[in-house]
Amino acid sequence: MKKEIVAMLLAGGQGSRLHALTSRVAKPAVPFGGKYRIIDFPLSNCVNSGIDTVGVLTQYQPLELNDYIGNGQPWDLDRSYGGVHILPPYLQEGEKGTWYKGTANAIYQNMSFIERYDPEYVLILSGDHVYKMDYVKMLKHHKARQADCTIAVLEVPLDEASRFGIMNVDEDDKVYEFEEKPKMPKSNLASMGIYIFTWSKLRKYLMADEANEHSKNDFGKNIIPAMLDAGERLSAYRFQGYWKDVGTIESLWDANMDMLSIESNVNLYAQDWPIFSRTPTTPPHFTGPNASINHSMITGGCEVYGSVENSILFHSVTIEEGADVRYSILMPGAVVKAGAVVEYSIVAQSAVIGPGAQVGAPPVGQENWGITVVAQGVHVGADAVVTPRSMVTRNMKGGAAV
Amino acid sequence: MMNTLHGIIFSYLSNPDLRELTQHRNTCSVPYGGRFRLIDFMLSNMVNAGVADVGLIAHTNYQSLLDHIGSGKEWDLSRNRGGLRILPPFGYVNKIRSDNYRGRMDALAGVYSYLQNIKQKYVVLAGGDVAVNLDLREMYHAHKASGADITVACTPLSDNPTPNSDYFLLDDDGRVSDVLLQPAVPQGYESLEVCLLSKELLLALVDHCTAHNIPSFSQGVLLSMRHKLNIHAYTFGGYVARIRTVSNYFTHSMDLLDPQVRGQLFTADRPIRTKEQSNPSTYYGPHSKSVNSLTADGCIIEGEVDNSILFRGVRVEQGAKVSNCILMQGTVVESNAMLKCAIADKNVVVSSGRMLMGHITYPLAIAKNEIV
Repeated sequence: MKKEIVAMLLAGGQGSRLHALTSRVAKPAVPFGGKYRIIDFPLSNCVNSGIDTVGVLTQYQPLELNDYIGNGQPWDLDRSYGGVHILPPYLQEGEKGTWYKGTANAIYQNMSFIERYDPEYVLILSGDHVYKMDYVKMLKHHKARQADCTIAVLEVPLDEASRFGIMNVDEDDKVYEFEEKPKMPKSNLASMGIYIFTWSKLRKYLMADEANEHSKNDFGKNIIPAMLDAGERLSAYRFQGYWKDVGTIESLWDANMDMLSIESNVNLYAQDWPIFSRTPTTPPHFTGPNASINHSMITGGCEVYGSVENSILFHSVTIEEGADVRYSILMPGAVVKAGAVVEYSIVAQSAVIGPGAQVGAPPVGQENWGITVVAQGVHVGADAVVTPRSMVTRNMKGGAAV
Repeated sequence: MMNTLHGIIFSYLSNPDLRELTQHRNTCSVPYGGRFRLIDFMLSNMVNAGVADVGLIAHTNYQSLLDHIGSGKEWDLSRNRGGLRILPPFGYVNKIRSDNYRGRMDALAGVYSYLQNIKQKYVVLAGGDVAVNLDLREMYHAHKASGADITVACTPLSDNPTPNSDYFLLDDDGRVSDVLLQPAVPQGYESLEVCLLSKELLLALVDHCTAHNIPSFSQGVLLSMRHKLNIHAYTFGGYVARIRTVSNYFTHSMDLLDPQVRGQLFTADRPIRTKEQSNPSTYYGPHSKSVNSLTADGCIIEGEVDNSILFRGVRVEQGAKVSNCILMQGTVVESNAMLKCAIADKNVVVSSGRMLMGHITYPLAIAKNEIV
């Protein structure tokens, strides 16, 4: 039985720019938006688009990600034919086998997985983007243009275009040139790292790329340029809507804050395109007699006795009496003790902020300001002070300052 | 792992004293505590004690129960071998009337062939209308240690007795010396309606009661056979909510606003499981207020809420005030509406500017899907 399209989700990146948050988990498994992990977005998009066969390519810190995806049941991807499959690198007979050398190599090493389904098309996705997208529309575009490869693009402000991979297109949105982070961008169409390939074509280019010792085995750097050089039909698919790469601490914090503006951005409450997740069963959250909560999201199992403003609390977070949390993200099980102040910070899973501690500060009158990060399980002692932009990865004694 | 115990939950009752709450469902699927159904508690107790095979006896009005339980996967009871079985009255030849079972013995007779196929040596029988975190493993060990024929769970007499409970009088060894069926003046220990016995004895008792047309377990077995059988009590001292009437449902719901009560019902080592729902976190607007309340996920709160329990997907619009209320899934309280001491069943809409008030002792219950 044939599948028309198979999705391959690249989830092996180390996420080194998020290091305090990804020292124990792969980037796609980083909690996001109160209830989710980043990978829930591409996975839910697949399911909502009717794509029921997804390979998830992992190699860095895969334990928690594997555990999270499990049999795929929360996304209805537990299927007897198809469904979600974790694809780690593996040794093959007669060869040494390697880690995934690049994004293209990761797909190359799993060609036999793809061929089990004999698909017409392969959708390549990244595990670190937050967006809602109907891939069926993109596939229709791909078919209508009789393209060999369709690349989803987003219009970005021209002055920011030099941060992205830019597609230069003709009037029919046919790509004639691809420039990675150009100094003088000729267009404002940024690649979103989402590709649909006609599988027979991609297969040919993956084989050729693997044979080339000098290749970095990367889609953006090697496969796309090689296809352009050979005159294949590459088409740009213009996406309209919210899309964010959450590869840095700042963008992760920004994207979380964006979720608080329900009507704009990715509306998590909209029923027509739900985002699914695996969450533990917790009782409802409790607001204490003096609790004060404004413009914030709170999740099951939280106990809020203090004040929370412009923040996102994941499940089972405790905010004690007299504690103040502002413009912050508190991941599952974090505790903010009485009288502590947490501002413009990301507090990772099960971290404890001691009584009276001060973590982070607002962006006023400070040079070198940035979002503060307290890593998973770290204890910040009583009355300790953590300055903006710090990343606390070890326990801090009471009264200490970073 | 404890694969010597089989679980049976009686989930066929639709208690008429729960009025609007049981209009569309039976008692064990009444929503409770912001995100649970009553049956979640006993089902989780069984699973937490390592029970791997559970039968739910249903008779009428069980569509909502089926919907909630599904294949039983949330309780890890969706298995290749054994697991969860929902037992409609497949083998029941009704002798008197056909609208429901007359009692637990009637119900057990109705699923007699299922009972015969039980693989485990012991069976625990329980109601599905009690919110309690009961350690059934401990009760099982107590049963074995005492050498009793039947062990019944009970709680010490409370200041605020539940309507329609049975009571046990115990001798010094913890043996049941007398059984009081729904006495006007409670004394002794209040029955939790959980009992544990061997499969062999259970089958013999069902045979006996069927042959003598005895529908009730309490009367036909516990009371009548208290001298013939060695019936021991297992006394439980923790929090129990027996849901029997609208006002006692309201009181027991509000008990959950006490952190100590929540601590006794929701423990980390014996979690209460329920059907998983895909909802985002709850959003609180810039002018919202929420104090002393429990709120499930997926709500949007822009008004004021105090001393209340909100199930998932509730909306409280700007200027609305909700006080001492239980709002079930999907309730919408529109702008500037006011609601006090009310229980709104699923998907109730309270239109803009309306005012509705019950009293703590007589809460206003609004039936499912009503628009006020």
